[in-house]
Amino acid sequence: MTDATMTTTRGPAPSGGRRSSRRPGPWHAALWIAPAAIAIVFVFAYAIYQLVVQSFKYKGAWTGWDNFRIVLTDPLFLTALKHNMELLLCVPVLIAIALLLAIVLSETIRGHTFFRGVLFFPYILPVTVVGVVLGQLLTLNGPVNTALNGVGLGKLAADWLGDPNIALWTMGAVIVWKEVGFGIVLFLARILSLPTETYEAAALDGAGFWRKHWSITLPQMTGVIAFYAVTEAIVMVSWVFNYVYIMTNGQGGPGDSTVVTELYIYRMAFQNQQIELAAAAAVILFLITLLLVVIFFRLQRKSLLAVVGE
Amino acid sequence: MRKTIKAAALLGVAALTLAACSSGGGGGASSPSASGGSTAPSPTSTEPITLTMHWWGDQEAPGAKKWLDAAITAYQTAHPNITIKETLETTDGLIPNFEAAAAAKTPLDIQYFWGGIYAQQPHWAGNTAAISDFLPADELAHYTNAQMEDSYQGKIVSAPWYVNPSFPVLVNKDLLSKNGLTVPTTWTDFLKTCDTLSAKGIPTIAGGVKDGWFGGWLYSILGAQSVTSQKQVLDAVVGNAKFTDPALGDWWTRLEESQKHKCWNSDINSQELYQAQQMFVDQKAAMTVTAGPDAPNFATKAGGPDKIEVMAMPAWSNGPLAGKIASSSQTLGIPSWSEHKAEAADFIKFLHSADQLQAWYDITGSLPADDRFDLTQVTDPIKKSLFAGGTDNVPYMENFIPAQLDSDAVFKNVQLVLKGSETGAAAAADMQAQMERLRTTDRELVTNFTNWASGQ
Repeated sequence: MTDATMTTTRGPAPSGGRRSSRRPGPWHAALWIAPAAIAIVFVFAYAIYQLVVQSFKYKGAWTGWDNFRIVLTDPLFLTALKHNMELLLCVPVLIAIALLLAIVLSETIRGHTFFRGVLFFPYILPVTVVGVVLGQLLTLNGPVNTALNGVGLGKLAADWLGDPNIALWTMGAVIVWKEVGFGIVLFLARILSLPTETYEAAALDGAGFWRKHWSITLPQMTGVIAFYAVTEAIVMVSWVFNYVYIMTNGQGGPGDSTVVTELYIYRMAFQNQQIELAAAAAVILFLITLLLVVIFFRLQRKSLLAVVGE
Repeated sequence: MRKTIKAAALLGVAALTLAACSSGGGGGASSPSASGGSTAPSPTSTEPITLTMHWWGDQEAPGAKKWLDAAITAYQTAHPNITIKETLETTDGLIPNFEAAAAAKTPLDIQYFWGGIYAQQPHWAGNTAAISDFLPADELAHYTNAQMEDSYQGKIVSAPWYVNPSFPVLVNKDLLSKNGLTVPTTWTDFLKTCDTLSAKGIPTIAGGVKDGWFGGWLYSILGAQSVTSQKQVLDAVVGNAKFTDPALGDWWTRLEESQKHKCWNSDINSQELYQAQQMFVDQKAAMTVTAGPDAPNFATKAGGPDKIEVMAMPAWSNGPLAGKIASSSQTLGIPSWSEHKAEAADFIKFLHSADQLQAWYDITGSLPADDRFDLTQVTDPIKKSLFAGGTDNVPYMENFIPAQLDSDAVFKNVQLVLKGSETGAAAAADMQAQMERLRTTDRELVTNFTNWASGQ
């Protein structure tokens, strides 16, 4: 589409050419975003301020870094943090599975809508439903192990959520199953927006499936992959509470094997009545998440610039 | 972007909640005694009043809701200006939801608390008013276990409602005899029973520790056997004794023995407490442990007195509490921010009237926490056995340790020992380590527990 046709289809220019030549001042933009800014300040900024203040107090009295010292030397908090970090290992798995399935779906002609729906379905399920259902399926004598025994794969049967050595990875697998749909849709949208000419040329040159996607698809998807990676990293650090709470009845068990930082904060605040320690732990989690959000925005900006450059 | 918004929203909600807790945490800073007194009008006032009650429902006393609904109707008829609204809480939500309500000062006038530490800690945090500020001592003197579990610095912090004989072991005599066994009463016999039944693929005792709570029960029915009184446990909490001392820590080794002898259902770590008990009803396990108030119903479902016997956990120790069923009372407390404390207390007192005590027993089949209830009418052998334990003043030990120690050490290590991932000795050492740490993180724990112990 040329600029000329675009002008034509847009219709007549708005009246008041003189007005359009005047750029609105900074106050104009500030006025427009003021309602949202006030709401954000009211909802988030004040609360975060209070949270930070609370993290430095005990029963109303200023205690300096005491709460942070207690939290950072608490073996349970360190274990919880370690588990969040271990769950980050699920991110590359998520990317690999989502990418592979998105590529396969992009090549699928028959039934692609159906398969897309099926693969995206877990993502739209409430975590509570997923947690309760999979929690039941994965009991030692539950349907999953029964099925494995039934087909002669009894050696693979395990106490998925009852064995402290594998419970966290079972949790990770459930999160991957639930979250992968988002990645598939994201990657598929990008793949479908890629120019087809390159693929046609590669096909003429005899490129096969792997060569085509390794050399053409992947390099053009770095932006969206980075976006997905950071988003899922944020999930693994600060958005897995629901899974753990539902699947372990709020215990993070067996033992401490599935305790994550959010659960630690929840237990400190609402079970152990140690609000100040919960606040300190929440501030630490907030800072970690903030770091990931900064990375996310930087990557998003880079990605947008790359798209504009194209 | 959606995920970012979600993450930001989570942080916002967490921050808001904690901020609310911080601003509302003044209650936590106030002294318990300051929570007494009420500016509310007297119960004889005609001003329209709505009382909000949060409680636990039928979970361990089937029929409790039916009884409470009828009691509320009767009370409202006698007090036309008072309306009572009830909200049911889940097991996992009972404590956190009260904490959230306390932080936000949500209208709440009557709150259900488990006895002992679960009633004490909210009071220490300034979140409940002492019930003894509103009910006379001669009334409270009738409330079972009020003095043993719910007294603090001369006050009664929460009003016992019904007794929870804690915790009876139900035994399927038929299943045992079919396998050539008799009811085990000693630990050695119990382990032999486990060996015989596990060889046949039958779990001796059904349980579920996924949700943790059963761990606390096991601590009480095994751990109490070698201590002389609750004072010994309170001493370990404040640092005058250790949870690794033989009297306080040997029970972990007994638990380990039970795991090695395959006494439990193999999926105990992936089963919830109540879920696993169903195995006993289904005749798939020879024994189980149930909540005292629910035991008669449970025994009936499993075959009745002819088939089922109720007993204490087989004794492994010669301690004075070994082989006995402990007694605990579930309670009703009054939040410190309630605007209708006097009316709430009056309703609680009404629940202890003779008619209501009788109705409670008739509907739930369990024991009301009031010595004015006529025990001579109880003829059922299972109930007689349970109620004898319930009125025997044997302390329920889980109610005398910090709730955080319960979840961070007992729940956790019971799961690990029963999975075979940890030894009993390591579990005892971890419990002691957790306790030592807790004394530094909970900066008022020692004072509160010392005060509590001084009244025992």
